[in-house]
Amino acid sequence: MEKAMATFDKGTVCSAWNYSASRLVTGSADGTVVVFDSLDPSSSSTSLTRTSNFKAHEAAIFKIVWVPPEYGDSIACICSDGSSSLWEEVVEDAQPLQWKLSKHFKSNSSQILDIQFGNSSSGLKMIAAFSDGNVKVYELMDPLDLKSWQLQAEFQNVIDSISTVRKAACLSASISWNPNRGERQQSSFVLAFRSDTPQLDSAKVWEFDRAHQRWLPVAELALEADKGDGVYAVAWAQNIGRPYEVIAVATQKGIAIWRLGLNPDSDGRLSTERVALLSGHNSEVWDMEWDMGGMTLASTGKDGMVRLWQSNLNGVWHQHAAFEPTS
Amino acid sequence: MAIVSPQQQPQIHRFPQFKYIDGVRWLPPLSAFGRFAVVALFDSDSDSSSIEIHSLTQNPLDMAPQSAWTSPSRISSLKTSQFYQNPLVFASTYTGSLHVLSVEPMDASLDSELSVPEKILHDRPISCVDVMDSGGECLTVAEDGRVNLVSVGESGLNYRRIFDSNGLVSYTAAKWASPTEFATGGCGFSLQWWDQRKPGGAVCQFKGDWASGIVHCMDIHPSRKHTCLAGGSFGTVFAWDLRWQQQPIILSGLEGSKTSNFSPCESEVWEVRYDPYIKSGNIGGMSSSQILPAMICSEDGIITSIEQGKQPVELLAEPCAINGFDIDHQHPSEVICNLEWESVAILSRP
Amino acid sequence: MPAPVSDSSPSGALVLSSSVDREVVYPIRHEVKPPIARLSISWARGNSFRVSIFKQQCGDNSAGSDDGEVGGQVLEVKIRNGDTEISAAEFRRIAYGSVSPFALLQSRKNMVLGLSKMSMGLSQFNPDGWEYIAEYSKDVSSILGNPKSLPSSAIEDPLEILKKVEEPTCLKAAWELMDVFYADKQSHWWLNERLVDWLAEYDSVLLTRQSTIHSKLFNFQKELDDLQVVEDNPSYWDVISSALAVGWQEIVVKMLRLHGSYQLDQLSNRETENGLVEAVAVLISKMPRMRPELDSGRLGECFKTKPDFTKAWEKWRSQITKLDGSAFWVYCAHVQTREGLRNMLQIILGNVESLSGATCNWMELYISQLLYVRPFTMGLESMYNLAERCMQLKKTSNTDRLMRLMIGILGESTEVVLAECSRGFGPWMVTHAMELLTEESDQVEVLLHEELHDLGGISIEELHRLVYAQVLCSHAFTWQIAPIYLTSCAKQGIGFLETLLYNQPVQHNGMLLKNLEICRLYELDGLSSNIMKIAGVYHWKHGRKAFGVFWLRKARDEVRLNKIALQLFDSVGKSISDESFKQWEGLIELLGSESKNTGGLEFLHKYRDFKKSLHQVHHKGKTTGVVQSAVDSLIALMKNPSTPQRFWLPILNDSLKLIDWHEGPLLNVEQTNLLLNKLQELSMARLRPDFVESDLTPLALSSIRLALAKNLGRAFLEG
Repeated sequence: MEKAMATFDKGTVCSAWNYSASRLVTGSADGTVVVFDSLDPSSSSTSLTRTSNFKAHEAAIFKIVWVPPEYGDSIACICSDGSSSLWEEVVEDAQPLQWKLSKHFKSNSSQILDIQFGNSSSGLKMIAAFSDGNVKVYELMDPLDLKSWQLQAEFQNVIDSISTVRKAACLSASISWNPNRGERQQSSFVLAFRSDTPQLDSAKVWEFDRAHQRWLPVAELALEADKGDGVYAVAWAQNIGRPYEVIAVATQKGIAIWRLGLNPDSDGRLSTERVALLSGHNSEVWDMEWDMGGMTLASTGKDGMVRLWQSNLNGVWHQHAAFEPTS
Repeated sequence: MAIVSPQQQPQIHRFPQFKYIDGVRWLPPLSAFGRFAVVALFDSDSDSSSIEIHSLTQNPLDMAPQSAWTSPSRISSLKTSQFYQNPLVFASTYTGSLHVLSVEPMDASLDSELSVPEKILHDRPISCVDVMDSGGECLTVAEDGRVNLVSVGESGLNYRRIFDSNGLVSYTAAKWASPTEFATGGCGFSLQWWDQRKPGGAVCQFKGDWASGIVHCMDIHPSRKHTCLAGGSFGTVFAWDLRWQQQPIILSGLEGSKTSNFSPCESEVWEVRYDPYIKSGNIGGMSSSQILPAMICSEDGIITSIEQGKQPVELLAEPCAINGFDIDHQHPSEVICNLEWESVAILSRP
Repeated sequence: MPAPVSDSSPSGALVLSSSVDREVVYPIRHEVKPPIARLSISWARGNSFRVSIFKQQCGDNSAGSDDGEVGGQVLEVKIRNGDTEISAAEFRRIAYGSVSPFALLQSRKNMVLGLSKMSMGLSQFNPDGWEYIAEYSKDVSSILGNPKSLPSSAIEDPLEILKKVEEPTCLKAAWELMDVFYADKQSHWWLNERLVDWLAEYDSVLLTRQSTIHSKLFNFQKELDDLQVVEDNPSYWDVISSALAVGWQEIVVKMLRLHGSYQLDQLSNRETENGLVEAVAVLISKMPRMRPELDSGRLGECFKTKPDFTKAWEKWRSQITKLDGSAFWVYCAHVQTREGLRNMLQIILGNVESLSGATCNWMELYISQLLYVRPFTMGLESMYNLAERCMQLKKTSNTDRLMRLMIGILGESTEVVLAECSRGFGPWMVTHAMELLTEESDQVEVLLHEELHDLGGISIEELHRLVYAQVLCSHAFTWQIAPIYLTSCAKQGIGFLETLLYNQPVQHNGMLLKNLEICRLYELDGLSSNIMKIAGVYHWKHGRKAFGVFWLRKARDEVRLNKIALQLFDSVGKSISDESFKQWEGLIELLGSESKNTGGLEFLHKYRDFKKSLHQVHHKGKTTGVVQSAVDSLIALMKNPSTPQRFWLPILNDSLKLIDWHEGPLLNVEQTNLLLNKLQELSMARLRPDFVESDLTPLALSSIRLALAKNLGRAFLEG
């Protein structure tokens, strides 16, 4: 049932698949990036070959994110020294195909914890979450040049602007874009922290208000009692026609499945409903991803398990399958 | 579309292979006995590619693998030729290598292999190979804009680069016209005519700027070396006569259906061949500007005969794409084709 | 809780079959030595996902002791629901084959639906409706395999009691069972006999821990060659009565004829015995059957109407009763024969105890009762009650999926039928079998088509189709048929399809074109241009400029094309007065003469024309036609707003010979003024910070100025 695809070098700590699941990049503790390619991307071949290998950082890379394919084959490496870099695979000036550095992001005051890219009709946006609880939104100025970014907005992950946090220390952040494409689709994402400041932690849904050119929090995905719970991971499900959105939020209490209404009320807020709290990992959740139809959630956690979750015909969520990697 | 009477309907035999078929060709005859087909297969379960020689038996028609050769990568283009009485199989791969296999006449086994490894001719998939009739000269073209000539020599394969556009032009099809001339096709329905006696680039080009499609396949008839027949996107099939360079003759396609012809298909034409089976009057007596009858297969699952000024005749309609075919030159009534749904079909025309 | 199991199906995919298995933990075997630092997960295509496993960093990195050890691994896990019996390749063959029947049925349904909208409620009485369903069912059934008799020798082997046939599949058995109840309505009047036929064909695939009649026969066949006197062997009588119980009369008669009393040397002293054997054999072969016909070689007498059948049945039974009560039994010296034959008569007379003794499981017992006890068609409810009684008589701990399906059908519970189809046979079965159910009743209609909020507003029918489509998406060869099913999903089908198509790789041209063809068929224009955009950027960035521009043009991506134009100008600018411009020809050809959708690249086209005519002036010279077209090109180029400013000076410099034409002015006053204005604009622009200085010497600028001034003067005089 399982097929080995590739093995990683010692010191590898993270990996990321591209949009078509045919390219894999890994990042390692010594700042090296390795690229694996399927020989024939169209045949869903399970054997990967190593095609590139380059040193992206001096410090460890702890997360890699692919840029949407409309902008070429490029990745963002998030590094333990708090900086982040964008790399792109290009042929330039009669040189052979190679990975080149496009942009290096660095903040003197705080560290970058997570980055996600969102592709909207107005262009490519990049959300970066920082260790001081700040969120920055950058916009790409030239669709063919990943060097030209402009800061569009900066805010904190709080539901009302009065409660601005002066000093915060965040351990981790997680961002998930609304994965739905389409012309009329609003740019929106969900963001949460794990920090020493309760009001930053809970997952909030941010939406871009085109009329006023600003980002607004439209929903908070936490029950009143759980608002201070640090969030390990968030995952926004693909919506292929549901009358509501589905978002998974993982805290130490388990994985909460939230339904988010599509139509804002008079305050501009979206209705929320927690439809399930899935316990199983009983500990830190490492990674979560929804399948292509947005019906099955896959998660991994510190219990060393891979778990799949589904709802039955009556809307009751349950574990669909569990897998234990063993050597 | 012309109605075919039941007597004229070809007999169709389908052979599921349980593997994806990357190409099929008839093998030039090995001996007086037996007929063979070359099939390029990709097995997704084991992630492996191979070329197999299948022998055909009659009554009932059946095909069975006779010998096989494992390929390092999927086959992107497959051709056969006869070189000093020996059948040769030319296969290019997705990773850019070229392999020439010779077939042992005694038992139809694939016995020796010459190859040019990947990254020498092309970096990525070779779009098309074409082998000179009864010769060992092979053209390779690809999207990277390179045109190479590979020849089978005493001591192996010799190759040289004829042209490199550095990606400023991409080539997707190639066809020999004579021992010195050949034609290539690319995107924008462009065709280029090359003459090895005039190196440094194409000697003339045709740009079909009426729609932005891609040429997938070409054919040039030995008796009409001045005319390139090309097939590509939107069901387009057109002929380019070098003597009237700016006026292509559209035989099929969206552009053609606007004017007069009914278009037999609307999708990609994957293969086009002059059809020696259709005797259209006296070929010798035909005007040299008249286009000879041809056969096409398409993404929308049809094999059709087309002839200038006549209604196309549908020979096969499948619910899946037909990715290629080959007409047996010994028995022109027999056509072998590869279907998207992991099958080979053989058509026997009455 | 059952022990962890990992059933590996022939496809190498994990099979999740029942709800019980949810508690089961499946192992994923890898090569990474513990401790594990992290697991990362990502969905691949359809139902497969990939797990990256990272090893915990050891404290001391310096130690070279664990060299060569892997630091992590990535694995793919494929999940498949349902059937383990069918290999992946065979599954694909079935998937391909069922596309056409499914698509045909959908289009017929839509047609009927369209008609019924025009003339209210016609669909309920649509005479063709059942025929369509029946045809569909037959088409699908033929894809699942036709049990062909294997070629056998022309001379019949008297000892061959079981015909060798290709092993039928459980999937086919399940489909046929559905066909009997739901599709073939015209045969409902002889439902019992259809079930007898069904069991005869598929008894071998009933999976029970106990043996089946088929397996008993199979084993007996193997012993047969070594048996000297069959009638002395208890299993001979056992097998005969079993075969009789489920109506395999041909086998029964053939076996009876193996009886030793038929041998010529024994005929005389076993006359009575032989008479009894023959009498039973004849009676069996004359059994009245409530069915339209029997295949040649099969025994029995067919009746098509109930009264005729009843009459024949009563008569036949009375003959049997008569034989049973005959005095001849006393004269039958061979005990086994006497007992065996009388037991057979009890079976025929419908003695439940005898039937129960002769059958191996409740399904066989059930069929035997339908044959001998309740030969008339009855309602599903009484059929269900009978089945329940049979189950009580033949209690078994493990039930076969076919038997569960049968219970579901008899219980008239669509939910159970769907659940059993899905659980026992997987998404292919449930998706295709649902089509047989939809015509069943209004209640079923509601059950299948009601939109459920908790499912995201989709119906159960749509859910099953989506699940099947996802299975198809898991494989590179079958994803292309998923659209057929997705487009029959009203709510989420197109959204699903768009996701599927968007995530296909664009690297390989052939695949890309197949992908775009699907977009074209389903009119997904927006998605199509998005995919072309991805392909365009991919090729452009990877050095295949022609293909890059080609796809971006097709995507009508003005923004990127304009940016590309700027980049191209840089490249062209470097070689502007150079012959190396020739290699750009091909790309410029590609851009075509129409200016639409090429962004600023239109300039390159004009520039090429200008270069060409200039070239002709330099080489051929003199002829006014050539010179005039060069001037026209120059003016067109300078008038064109997309001509970048930084090219103005080099272009004018190239045209010095034209401006300062020795045979008189070529440019009129207006044209000269245009060029002078451009020069003026340039000197203004020089003040701006972003101005790009050309490589031309100041001397060149002044000579252009001088030439233009001179030309202006001469033009005034001429004008």
